[in-house]
Amino acid sequence: MQKYSFKALLLAITVGFVLAVHFQLVDQYVTTVAMLMGINIILSTSLNVVNGYMGEFSCGHAGFMCVGAYVSSVLSVLLFTKDRVFGPALLPEEFAVIGVPVVILIGGVAAALAGLIVAVPSFKTRGDYLAIITIAANYIIISCLENMDVIGGPRGFQGMKRVVGAMEDVWDIPWMPVLVLVGTILSVWAIRRFVSSTYGKGISAICQDEVAAEIMSVNTNKMKLVAFMLSSGLAGVAGGLFAHVYGYVNPQSFNILKSTECLVMVYLGGMGSLSGSVLSAIVFTLLIEALRFAIPALNSLAHQLHMVPASYEIGQVWKWVVLPLILILTMQFRPEGFMGKKELSDFFPFLKKFYQRLED
Amino acid sequence: MLLSVRNLHVKYGNIEALHGISFDIDEGEIVTLIGANGAGKSTTLHTITRLPPPEAPRVTEGDIIYQGKSILKMPPHKVVSELHITLAPEGRHIFGNLTVQENLKLATYARQDTDNIARDMERIYDLFPRLAERRKQRSESLSGGEQQMLAVGRALMSGGRLLLLDEPSMGLAPVIMYEKFRALKRLNEEDGITILLVEQNARIALQFAHRGYVLNTGEIVAQGPSEQLACDPDVKAAYLGG
Repeated sequence: MQKYSFKALLLAITVGFVLAVHFQLVDQYVTTVAMLMGINIILSTSLNVVNGYMGEFSCGHAGFMCVGAYVSSVLSVLLFTKDRVFGPALLPEEFAVIGVPVVILIGGVAAALAGLIVAVPSFKTRGDYLAIITIAANYIIISCLENMDVIGGPRGFQGMKRVVGAMEDVWDIPWMPVLVLVGTILSVWAIRRFVSSTYGKGISAICQDEVAAEIMSVNTNKMKLVAFMLSSGLAGVAGGLFAHVYGYVNPQSFNILKSTECLVMVYLGGMGSLSGSVLSAIVFTLLIEALRFAIPALNSLAHQLHMVPASYEIGQVWKWVVLPLILILTMQFRPEGFMGKKELSDFFPFLKKFYQRLED
Repeated sequence: MLLSVRNLHVKYGNIEALHGISFDIDEGEIVTLIGANGAGKSTTLHTITRLPPPEAPRVTEGDIIYQGKSILKMPPHKVVSELHITLAPEGRHIFGNLTVQENLKLATYARQDTDNIARDMERIYDLFPRLAERRKQRSESLSGGEQQMLAVGRALMSGGRLLLLDEPSMGLAPVIMYEKFRALKRLNEEDGITILLVEQNARIALQFAHRGYVLNTGEIVAQGPSEQLACDPDVKAAYLGG
């Protein structure tokens, strides 16, 4: 009974949220922030597989998100809607209901394949050098897309709103909130299963001592491949969801700043803590939204007190001072992150009865 | 013949570390490679296991035959899981933040014969009572000698039939060292584990092993049964202190 109560609670929250959105009990803004939260949870938990559990330092996570976003967007526009460039839909628009989740998954697979750019060098390279490779991978992906004029190049790509519209014509439910919720729950579940399985413990072994891992017959190359591909594949799924939520993608929205956001979320929550990553993604999303209001308020206050020249406006660009500053302060005062390697259930033992115990 | 190394030439970069060494190990034997620093002892072990990556030595000539098959092309994790050759490395490489028991359990990661795991665990605690006393202790809190015992225990838990030991006496108090060698002897006699031992401490190595090879700057300069080597005037002068 106890075993199911956690799942029941989760299901109740999910259904409650979807119903609230459907009957417009919450406004559009709250819905969007909630969806962004889900996408950020996928990003931070998936990056935690590599940066936390495996102990490598990947800082090009947004690049893989970009691959997923573009592949799924192009496919869904190509298949399910009439487009200026691509011409008429290849499949009937009603198919979008099943098609879009499939297309988002294909985006994830494409991102997992792009993850090979990083996974293969990781066989021989570790630490700082691999980090440089991941940044390079991020830039390569963005530059490629900026130079593909057929999908908009630097102007970006749109049309996904029409596809989501077509889905709502078939069956009038809030599709994107549902997909984001399902995607978030499934990715967190998949990562939890992976890192707590005997097979997945191989990546923790690599993190601590690669030689020892080989001695106990872990195929370290294969484990690195699996970890990088799982991580980048889920980032691709997050990208696909992101693209369909906003209906518009642009290569520059997946640049190194976005990767930094992912890093901040992982290090804030704690490397190797799954619940830490989930919590920090939630806190982080709320913080960004808070800044959206706080910065203009600060601006007008500063002008009233004549603390800045009248010609200078404190703009949203200051977000990029605050976020890296959070990373610096975290590293300085709590380098293991807020949760360290611990899970929520380690702090609140009563939560343990909600999980099935795997050990002993 | 269990393991046969034939005319092995090995290079690190451009420098040749082994200039064509050959030796054999029969099933159930204890064989030792003795020699000074830089003679190529550890290189030989690392060539067999292809560990530690990625600086694994490069074989330019010769072959390593195990149970009739060349194993030079085999990836390191398969050398452990399929051939049951396991290394207890010089830097012990145990997982410091796990307990003794967890370290031993982890070693069974790739084992198929799950039924025998509990039995092997008991056997290791029987051979190394110190590990049994400390089974719930974090392994970084063990003494150096106990950590080395754990490294040997782990090699056995991963299903090893040929045990490669890199400097097992290093840094140990004599009483611990003798305790460890007695346990290894029992392992060989009672469980039929074959052991290839690499040692700088030639005296104890020759007391313990059946046969020995003397390695000097990448070449084998003497070989024979341990008693014979121990009496050899050259070996005595060079390695046993006259």
